[in-house]
Amino acid sequence: MSWLIQTFSSSIGKKLLMAVTGLSFIGFLAAHLAGNLTIYAGGAAFNTYAEKLHALGPILTVFELGLLVFALLHVITGITLFVQNFKARSVPYEKDRSAGGRTLSSVTMPYTGIIILGFVVFHLINFSFVDKSDRTIFEIVRSAFANPVYMIIYVVVMIIVALHVRHGFWSAFQTLGANHPKYMPALMVLSVIVGLMIGFGFGLLPIYLWTVR
Amino acid sequence: MKKLPKRINLTLKIWRQQGSEKKGHFETVAARDISVHMSFIEMLDSVNEQLAMEGKDPIAFDNDCREGICGTCGAVVDGRAHGPQKATTLCQLHMRQFSDGDTIVVEPFRARAFKVLKDLVVDRSPLDKIMTAGGFISVNTGGAPDGNALPIAQEIAEKAMDAAACIGCGACVAACPSASAMLFVSGKISQLALLPQGKPEAARRALNIVKTMDVCGFGNCSNHRECENACPKELSIVNIARLNREFFKASFFSDET
Amino acid sequence: MQLDAHIPAGPLTEKWDRHRFELKLVNPANKRKFEIIVVGTGLAGASASASLAELGYHVKTFCIQDSPRRAHSIAAQGGINAAKNYTNEGDSIWRLFYDTVKGGDFRAREANVYRLAQLSNNIIDQCVAQGVPFARDYGGLLANRSFGGAQVARTFYARGQTGQQLLLGAYSALVRQISTGMVTLLARREMMDLVLVNGQARGIVVRNLINGVLESHAADAVVLCTGGYGNVYYLSTNAESSNVGAGFRAYRKGALFANPCFTQIHPTCIPHTGDHQSKLTLMSESLRNDGRVWVPKNGGDIRDPQDIPDKDRDYYLEQKYPSFGNLVPRDVASRAAKAQCDAGKGVGLTRCSVYLDFADAIKRDGRENIAKKYGNLFDMYELITDDSPYQKPMMIYPASHYTMGGLWVDYNLMSTIPGLFVLGEANFSDHGANRLGASALMQGLADGYFVIPYTIGGYFAGTTLAPVNTDHTAFKEATQTINDGIAKLMSINGKRTADNFARELGKIMWGYCGMSRDEQGLNKALTLIRELRAEFWQNVLVPGIDKDYNKSLEKTGRLADSLEFAEIMIHDALYRTESCGGHFREESQTEEGEAKRDDENFSCVSVWEYDGYDKAPKLHKEPLVFENVELSQRSYK
Repeated sequence: MSWLIQTFSSSIGKKLLMAVTGLSFIGFLAAHLAGNLTIYAGGAAFNTYAEKLHALGPILTVFELGLLVFALLHVITGITLFVQNFKARSVPYEKDRSAGGRTLSSVTMPYTGIIILGFVVFHLINFSFVDKSDRTIFEIVRSAFANPVYMIIYVVVMIIVALHVRHGFWSAFQTLGANHPKYMPALMVLSVIVGLMIGFGFGLLPIYLWTVR
Repeated sequence: MKKLPKRINLTLKIWRQQGSEKKGHFETVAARDISVHMSFIEMLDSVNEQLAMEGKDPIAFDNDCREGICGTCGAVVDGRAHGPQKATTLCQLHMRQFSDGDTIVVEPFRARAFKVLKDLVVDRSPLDKIMTAGGFISVNTGGAPDGNALPIAQEIAEKAMDAAACIGCGACVAACPSASAMLFVSGKISQLALLPQGKPEAARRALNIVKTMDVCGFGNCSNHRECENACPKELSIVNIARLNREFFKASFFSDET
Repeated sequence: MQLDAHIPAGPLTEKWDRHRFELKLVNPANKRKFEIIVVGTGLAGASASASLAELGYHVKTFCIQDSPRRAHSIAAQGGINAAKNYTNEGDSIWRLFYDTVKGGDFRAREANVYRLAQLSNNIIDQCVAQGVPFARDYGGLLANRSFGGAQVARTFYARGQTGQQLLLGAYSALVRQISTGMVTLLARREMMDLVLVNGQARGIVVRNLINGVLESHAADAVVLCTGGYGNVYYLSTNAESSNVGAGFRAYRKGALFANPCFTQIHPTCIPHTGDHQSKLTLMSESLRNDGRVWVPKNGGDIRDPQDIPDKDRDYYLEQKYPSFGNLVPRDVASRAAKAQCDAGKGVGLTRCSVYLDFADAIKRDGRENIAKKYGNLFDMYELITDDSPYQKPMMIYPASHYTMGGLWVDYNLMSTIPGLFVLGEANFSDHGANRLGASALMQGLADGYFVIPYTIGGYFAGTTLAPVNTDHTAFKEATQTINDGIAKLMSINGKRTADNFARELGKIMWGYCGMSRDEQGLNKALTLIRELRAEFWQNVLVPGIDKDYNKSLEKTGRLADSLEFAEIMIHDALYRTESCGGHFREESQTEEGEAKRDDENFSCVSVWEYDGYDKAPKLHKEPLVFENVELSQRSYK
């Protein structure tokens, strides 16, 4: 198995980890978003969705554990890459201009990543590890977003997630070796679309909930 | 008939460093009476002539062919590797790109893997080290079959040539926010992976080269695409994707370790 | 001194085979006992290092650049010739041999040239096997183009970067041997001197260009692959670090120098724009296939070229050479351009260039088709000059490009010093008085891949070599002499930099020993060079310190050599009162102003021996015998 460790500790191997886990998160987000959209159909629909999800029982647990492992991999590898890349340019440039490649989204990846990590913890404390014995999940969510501070935090973070996904999505394909002159331009556009969908999809919910508080 | 060439005055804020073990600093040097027809390198020549006459140590910088093919020259000019003009090496960057009175910041290529030797001169031998790890096809001299014994589709040959156009200047490393050498490495890997001659040792080559690249202390590719935009020969990151595929193929599906 | 070229006996076509058979072999187990020094990593040096290491010799390879991949072979654009006859046009080894001998104006050795033509085919095979991405046809086979006025398409190419791709191929073979430990590479080293022990070449002393430290290296043979001396002209298409130093230092140690006045001036370079200029950039010769060369009929016509009507233009090449027109050989085109500028009809800032006009071609074939053929060259021109050749004629002028002369070598590529071999542009052997397009790459690789591996074995097998290491007094003495020389340069502390002197030397050489030469001018140049040299030793300024990265010191040291070497070129040009190839003596021309050879007196190699500082070198001659080709006068009317 030493070859496997060797592969994943190489620079390209680490990128592979980031790409695979990252793409999985995008898949997760899509599912999560689909579930969340039931909020627009009202509290009952949302609660039903939550109940059905929890009825999955052990499958859900396995899935959650998988997410946890992926998250750990993504975060630890990401931090390793960040530290290595920081060290690789031991002396920074006095003047550093883009040659035309980097984007706001690409240069902020480590920072948006850290913010998202903090947010995920915050989000889990708010809505997952919370006493649900006397309130439905919809009530918990609605009361949370009645607070404008919560609403604003969520909206801002969703913009950040959108940025992270916008670079992460196409970048994962590139890392996996899927770059073809015929498809890459479309993939770059799709990357923006996916970012926007996630940003708007998740970002509008808190606003909606705040307006109907 | 042409007017007399314009002459401009510039201020250089330029990196000076006595040696690899010494601490460096920025120095302000005036570049006076510079013809706009000069290349950036010729402008530095002219500044050096002036410094020498004043009894000062001239600015050390590497250069050789002065026609953009040997890959010897290079510096970060105003925050851009090889300066502001696209697809151009420093020796082909002409002073007409600048205006009278400009202050230009000139720094060496910065990367942990590229030690500064003096002023703008850096040690790019890690790039040779990477090539030594597998940037070749193992054929001895003599005994090669006829050149036409192995037809290669024109399109493949052209793609291989695109990848082979790399001049090894290191601008990709300098421009990459992570100081990664992936574009450089991907040029050679792509060239040899595309051509049938390179296929027998493709797996070995990919693994050894990537291993060496990592050992040299380059950063990890973050897909910023700065490299392809800074590359004087405009190598594309399509090559990096191919390098990744070659690496995965070698890691997961070959017997090599 | 009796010069013996060691040409094997027998018919021309069998000489090389026979010679390879007669050369003694070194037992494979014994090869590892030999150490070989290779200086230079261009096509010749990289290919020689790799091939020798593959055979089992221990090789130490030195290059002046920071990486072996940067040697100036990399700048060659056009292509490499081979007698493959893939195009079915009737090419053959014999035809390539004949074209090369004739192109060199019958001043090269038949046997060497024939061998070169024979090996040309192996080179292409070897390079393809290494993964050199040559251009290909739709069917996947290798593409050919015709180049440099050849009547058959025998040139293989990789876009406009053939030299780069061939060099990277040789470099890949070299790094492969570095990875096996058979080659030790020492980059950023300049050869300061050759070390002889018992009259044999046994090592070199180099200067580490990063810290200025002198290092001694001993070996059983030394192979110089250090290129030509075109930078004597200061403005040339050569790279900054291309220099005659290594060759000249060997010459001072007793190696003889052959045909130093044979230099090639390439007709299509971007002209210089002022005194700041450090080099000239070559525009591929292929441009003359469609471009028309002209100057205004009246000197000093300052109208924009587009506004000058046809009747006021002088298409002088088409006028003078109706059958070849703009496609006359390099030397003829260069001289014609010079004649126009000398007559005051030159154009451009310095009034020292001629137009190369594509307006008619664009009108005829359409801009798109012209762009397809020359787009990258037009872009390069625009990048440098800020003018677009689509709108305005290009301005071009000849520039020093290649030097046919070099250290004298025999058929084995060994100089007059036993154990000192010289390969590629650094030797004199194959191009005579003029090199044909796409032949330099061929020669460098033939020497390195396919000649030296055999002939060096023959030398080792037939020679007794005493054990020598760097503790030998010869190394100590050489180091001392070099140190003294450097100390002397550093101590002058004058008022002119090396660049400043080099520019002046270049002007003298270009003016009096460039495209055309005459006795009076050459004598004047001799005086001027001596004066300049005297001033140099009084007034040169070397900033910085010696034990450091110091480009100024490097340049000053090389210039000191050039200042002496230039004189040998002048002596050679003075001696050769005939015109041949790139060497045009005003005194020897036909009524139409063409070069006129004097086969009776000058069918020979002029070979010069060092006779001490400030003394004229001693002349030796190696007669050239032509048994297989008939000497004829070139005509392009």
